[in-house]
Amino acid sequence: MNDFRLVESGKMGRVAYGRIAPNEDLILGIEKLCLAQGFKNAFVRGALGSLVDACLEEIDDKIIEVKGPAVEIVSLAGEVRSDENGTPCASLSGVVAGPDGKVYGGRFVLGLNPICVTFEVTLEEWLPDT
Amino acid sequence: MTPENSIKGKQPRFLRHPGRFNPVRIKTVLSPYGRHVRLSLKPGVTLFEAIVNPLAELDIRDASTTILGGTFNDLYYCVAPPDPEGRTVIAYSKPKFAGRCYMVFGNATLGRSSEGKPLVHCHAVIRAESGDVLGGHIVTEQTIVGSKPSSVLVTSLEGFELRQAYDEETRTSLLQPVEVERHE
Repeated sequence: MNDFRLVESGKMGRVAYGRIAPNEDLILGIEKLCLAQGFKNAFVRGALGSLVDACLEEIDDKIIEVKGPAVEIVSLAGEVRSDENGTPCASLSGVVAGPDGKVYGGRFVLGLNPICVTFEVTLEEWLPDT
Repeated sequence: MTPENSIKGKQPRFLRHPGRFNPVRIKTVLSPYGRHVRLSLKPGVTLFEAIVNPLAELDIRDASTTILGGTFNDLYYCVAPPDPEGRTVIAYSKPKFAGRCYMVFGNATLGRSSEGKPLVHCHAVIRAESGDVLGGHIVTEQTIVGSKPSSVLVTSLEGFELRQAYDEETRTSLLQPVEVERHE
């Protein structure tokens, strides 16, 4: 990121709610939701739903695969930032529970977290001071 | 769980749901702003009542909430394995009793049932007295808030409603955003 800043002041703007359908990717779905609503930057304010399988990144590029269905999303935090071309990029991390209730955490891997039944998400627009 | 070293060559697994495919994959609605409320969950009542009742007094009937940890008594939760009868892809298990727990983190969506009554959809991570850390769908109507109030950050959803509606594709009743007419 070219405009790296330790502190970015700003304020919250609009609130978007989305329901994302089965087999859509979690990360791409949130990015598309931002495109649909014209959000350049946003924070995840609430999210829950289920995945077919989950794929989470650990440190050192190792990954954890959790087999479903369904893998429940029980915690999700993250943000969306747009690049210099205005393309939204979501960074999401969280905790999932497998069909046996055991939990796993990490950063969600792009393209490998297909939604199982539904995913509900609330995004709050972030408007940095210029 | 399978620890792996690389995502190279991996592909997501898709599932075919029993109902008719809906080409609209993202349903989204927008609110010009959200009201924020810090809520303390009332000890001794159900998680459902502790969320619904104080927010109704503020005329908040649709909201996205984050439960910032806290103790719970008589907590019940479900997991979602494949539907043994094959009518849907998955089906919630019978509620599992987790007893007295610490909720590490939770998200709850407040909306309305198909009959227009309040509905709370909650997923959370819990730490049981045994030390096991578990997660799943919390049965809010049966789960009792513990003795110390838990804090919840509420973001209200204004100008639209979340209504439980039958989803033909998954053959499941789901919360769906619905735009409502404003009566000034």
